[in-house]
Amino acid sequence: MEFKDYYQALGLERTASEDEVRKAYRKLARKYHPDVSKEPDAETRMREVNEAYDVLRDKEKRTAYDALADRVARGGSAQGDFQPPPGWDEGFEFNYRPDSDGPADHAQFSEFFSSLFGQAQRRGAARQNFRARGEDHHAAIEISLEDALNGAEREITLRAMEIDAQGQAQVVPRTLHVKIPPGVGPGQFIRLAGQGMPGHGGEAAGDLFLEVRIAPHKLYRVEGRDLYMTLPVTPSEAALGGPIRAPTPGGAVVEVTVPANARNGLKLRLKGRGLPGKTPGDLYLLLDIVLPPADNDAVRQAYETLARASGSFDPRRHLGV
Amino acid sequence: MVTIKHSISATVVDDGGALGVIELAHACGAGTEWVAQLVEVGVIEADDIEGPARQWRFRSGALRCALQARRLQRDFDIGLDAAALIIDLEREVRRLKALVQAQRPR
Repeated sequence: MEFKDYYQALGLERTASEDEVRKAYRKLARKYHPDVSKEPDAETRMREVNEAYDVLRDKEKRTAYDALADRVARGGSAQGDFQPPPGWDEGFEFNYRPDSDGPADHAQFSEFFSSLFGQAQRRGAARQNFRARGEDHHAAIEISLEDALNGAEREITLRAMEIDAQGQAQVVPRTLHVKIPPGVGPGQFIRLAGQGMPGHGGEAAGDLFLEVRIAPHKLYRVEGRDLYMTLPVTPSEAALGGPIRAPTPGGAVVEVTVPANARNGLKLRLKGRGLPGKTPGDLYLLLDIVLPPADNDAVRQAYETLARASGSFDPRRHLGV
Repeated sequence: MVTIKHSISATVVDDGGALGVIELAHACGAGTEWVAQLVEVGVIEADDIEGPARQWRFRSGALRCALQARRLQRDFDIGLDAAALIIDLEREVRRLKALVQAQRPR
């Protein structure tokens, strides 16, 4: 398991002051903000930057992390006595690849340290009688559209850096077998009760919240609970209307009726065929008129006939040319 | 130390699995007062908003915005109103990007 160098992630020296840490973070947060960044791996880098800042901004976490880093540098293990089973070190990097054909084979998310926005103080463990429920833990998981529709079972490994009562940091990995219910939409959170950080002073553990992301699908686009698919049709099919066969995400083939004189981009709505749930989403088929190629005499003649027959139709009339 | 496997069912943060005020506050590492402020400023919406705070229920969208607001406040030292604006803008950018992506020829 790779040890993350948080100073490197923020472009800092070990001796950086709090001010320098904050400045470095803000500069990088602007550079890698996924919504505005031009960098190709913005989302991954943003996550690394956030993770690094979560640790380095906090005096106690930073001290513990520095000690951990020293231990690793001396040849020690970040996990203390933990011996990873063979093959475990596959790592869980969250790779968002918009052009890939499908999602990664297994759930992936890198969490070297719990991404935690907490006031809950680990240093409180040194205070006697300190009791507080464990902090919640956040991570993300990417599933395929099929998994979102049908539900899925996933094995995920989370790693959190825990600081014990003596201020010693240790990386604690956990493997969870998660059952994802069907009908989870993009951006929804699923909650695993009691799988967060352990409680203090005998209190209950926090929860684990997983943000579900749906991998881009070759055919369907997900928006909320609805699905969108392009349905190519010929000009004849659009103009004359009639039944057209279309696939659905569930696998069934349906027959839809294209109305006569359907225009390009027309949306045909298949109610209830989107993501399942209490209020199921819909499947929208967007008509995309595709020209049969004029690459033989018969087709060319047919086009010419059509041009003559519809001679009074001028699509450029409004241009005044 | 051993790697232990647990088989767990997850509940969706929606409908019956929506979060109460205390749960949302805890999930964000903040207090309930802060959650109330988020609702007041309009960063998040709650079901049963007309009722007392203990009856409010928050879905995934609210959790997401709350986490985002927390991070913006903490890491950039900005007020809730500014955070709310940034969150709105981010949402709009994502929506537009998805729209543009969908228009691309396949």
